[in-house]
Amino acid sequence: MTFALRSLLYGSRIRRGLPFGSMEVESPSLAEILAAAARGEQWAGEQLVRRYERLVWSVVRHFRLESNTAWDVYNTVFLRLWEHADRIRQPEALPGWLAATARNEAMRTIRNQRRQVPTEFEYDLADPALSSLDEAIIEDEEVASVVTAFKQLEERCQELLKLLVVEPKLDYETVASLLGKPMGYLGPTRGRCVEKLRRIMERRRPGDDDAPDRR
Amino acid sequence: MSTTGSNQEDRDDERLLALLGAGLAAADPIPEWVSRGAAESVTWARIDAELAELVFDSAVEDLAGVRSEAGARLLSFRAPEIEVEVTVEEGVRRLIGQVVPPQELDIELVGPAIAVATRSDPLGRFTFDQVPAGPLSLRCLTVGGVVQTQWVVV
Repeated sequence: MTFALRSLLYGSRIRRGLPFGSMEVESPSLAEILAAAARGEQWAGEQLVRRYERLVWSVVRHFRLESNTAWDVYNTVFLRLWEHADRIRQPEALPGWLAATARNEAMRTIRNQRRQVPTEFEYDLADPALSSLDEAIIEDEEVASVVTAFKQLEERCQELLKLLVVEPKLDYETVASLLGKPMGYLGPTRGRCVEKLRRIMERRRPGDDDAPDRR
Repeated sequence: MSTTGSNQEDRDDERLLALLGAGLAAADPIPEWVSRGAAESVTWARIDAELAELVFDSAVEDLAGVRSEAGARLLSFRAPEIEVEVTVEEGVRRLIGQVVPPQELDIELVGPAIAVATRSDPLGRFTFDQVPAGPLSLRCLTVGGVVQTQWVVV
């Protein structure tokens, strides 16, 4: 069965990941999904948004855009993706392309805002993603304890870790360019920041104060 | 010193970062309507068109000798056979356009919250009023086919 026919028949099931009884349907490759997006097929749009929206969102948030503006930039990145979907020859380059597009559009928006309100707009606004951490209700205790510790990290570590936890993973080159740091900064800093995060968590664990190295 | 091997430490680090990733995603969720809007835009962001690339944006760069007026943003888009120059007056949200070479064309302004059409005059000029903020694109219906400008937030 051709892919086009298969997606016509089963597209909605593929995208929802539903089982087909005994029938086995391989999931379409990224190249096939991109080709379908270029034809304007909604299931392909849904798959690409679901797969990459955290990546796009994290890059946009890195620039501390408030929500309305962040949504506009996020939308624009996907509109650019539909525009370019049939020209992406190497699907494995997609995360890097999305990150670069998100960065360019976020910076364009920031410059435009600065131009309009040159005195009022400052880059070092409160980070909207961080302030949302204070209000978040996280039910999983283990996740909640990591987030609580994360809030006590210095800003440098927070910024780096926020980009490193993004799924699918951003490559080191992209992360370094977003932070305006050389590649050699990432490995050692990541190690130090993770270690600090761990120490903060251990400090908070009762009865463990006398043995900080024990896990 | 830890007695565990470095592979174990790597796995511990990965697990910690995965937990952190889950927590950060939960704390700063993307609203469902925003996700849905982005996914649905694939169906109306038509790709039958030739792309007119954004080649100038006064928000990003100022051409030597060209000073953008305060409160107006200049954008230029270029396709092989036509160029579209656009001024967005920010206060009144009016979009004034110029097609080069000058010609009468049907032109559509599309975006998540808008789809309106007009026609350029013989000098290639056109105007859209009350343009909503957000991503926008112009579709120009030329004799050779549709030319669509790159998406940009205005």
